[in-house]
Amino acid sequence: MIRVATFDELDPKLVKDLCKILYQAFAVGAEHSGVVTPPSGMNEPWDSHRLLREAPKVAAFQDDKVLYVTSRKLLPRKLLTGEVPTFGVSQYNGQRAVVSFAHIKNPTENVKQLARYALQELGHTWGLHHCLDPRCAMYPHWTPSYPAGDASFCVFCRETSEQKIRLAKS
Amino acid sequence: MSETGTLRLAVGDRVVYPNQGLCKVTGVDTKEVAGQKLTMVSLIREEDGAKVMVPEAKVVAIGVRKVSSSDEVDKVLEFIKSDSDKASLDWKARARTNVERMATGGLMGLAEVVKGLQVLSELRPLPTKERELYNDARHLLVAEMSASLSVLECDAEDTIDALLFPVGKERPKRTAEEFRALAGGDDDELGLDGDLMGGGLDEEQPEEPEAEAEGESAEAAEGDDGEEKPAAKKAVAAVEKKLRPREAVTAPQEAMKKSVISDVDVTMPQASPLIEPVKRKRGRPPKPKPEGPPPEPKKRGRPPKPKPDGPPPEPKKRGRPPKSASAMPALPPAGLTGKKK
Repeated sequence: MIRVATFDELDPKLVKDLCKILYQAFAVGAEHSGVVTPPSGMNEPWDSHRLLREAPKVAAFQDDKVLYVTSRKLLPRKLLTGEVPTFGVSQYNGQRAVVSFAHIKNPTENVKQLARYALQELGHTWGLHHCLDPRCAMYPHWTPSYPAGDASFCVFCRETSEQKIRLAKS
Repeated sequence: MSETGTLRLAVGDRVVYPNQGLCKVTGVDTKEVAGQKLTMVSLIREEDGAKVMVPEAKVVAIGVRKVSSSDEVDKVLEFIKSDSDKASLDWKARARTNVERMATGGLMGLAEVVKGLQVLSELRPLPTKERELYNDARHLLVAEMSASLSVLECDAEDTIDALLFPVGKERPKRTAEEFRALAGGDDDELGLDGDLMGGGLDEEQPEEPEAEAEGESAEAAEGDDGEEKPAAKKAVAAVEKKLRPREAVTAPQEAMKKSVISDVDVTMPQASPLIEPVKRKRGRPPKPKPEGPPPEPKKRGRPPKPKPDGPPPEPKKRGRPPKSASAMPALPPAGLTGKKK
């Protein structure tokens, strides 16, 4: 089960559409688990790692995934090889993922674009890595063509995610 | 504490087991296995908690090693950043090298596999096996880098991918010429199957296997005199097929090619408009049809038994034949039969 928790009051249609796309992509139920408050003392742009660590708990089973959605900007991460824009982070093989749609104009209309970013972060929680196929949602999200793609996986990533989900269920 | 070769292992150490990933040493115990006392190192895979027990004497031979240092990570990042991919383009050699690198290459070996397959994927989509290998190598690389740099796995992966997929840029498209230049101009080194080639590379299809071409020419040679025309056509096709990929591109000055196949002298001008482009046939060529009337269809199953002459034999009596009175043993007295009343 995918639990979608939001840090802001969002349009119910947006959340409903997002849950629908997530359900279609993973074949796992997705539902809105309500609005949660962000950790105290956070200034925009938010520190994605702190958010991932300190976000309030959401009632979920052990094999559930929790996706935190926010309309706030996330702080770009400074890595050894340079700075990368951050639209979301996740715990690999873990439970939590954060995704931001601050960079998406009119998210209610462009819910597929938001879902593409959400798919990538949720995919990481199931142990998927970045993909070589530009059409796949697991392709690195900082490439120029990424936002234009569909909210779906390539064959390899879909099969891998199905396998991981089956394993988690058993 | 256990010392194996140059590797000293103690409980709590983090090590890398080749092709398995990060493990933690949970114990070094002596156990009796098949009458022998062996010192076993117990490891737990961090990813899923799977337990592995390795004989201490084999730890180094298996390739268990400590987690790479940050200096090694820097070297790996330098390698990924550089445009120095020397991956073999022959698929067999590549597969062999990649498996070897995964097992014994350490962190750099993993990076070489990832980088090599990444570059190859810029020419054409990877086949399933190589895609799986790429995924495995990436998984192990990310996990080890994450442990080495003490960062989250998402940061470790983005550190690598910031080099492989530069921010704000699309991946470059590689051409077959680029690969050919790397391979030293030998087409056979490419290892590109026709099915796997990308859309824009159709004109550079590799040669058909030799066996097929030979098979066709042999078939042409076996043809009857009455079928000289098709045989000649096939011979021309076989010769043209053999020559087409390489000579047509590399040696246009060789205008004429001459070959004798099946007693037919074939003079073939290169790239002549008279010669139709030959469609590639896949699979085994069809067998030549035998002459004469078609043989009778074989009857299936066991042939019927020949009927014996004369009257039919008496039907066999079923059951045990009655015993003769002389052969019958004397009955024991009633009291000794052993039957209970």
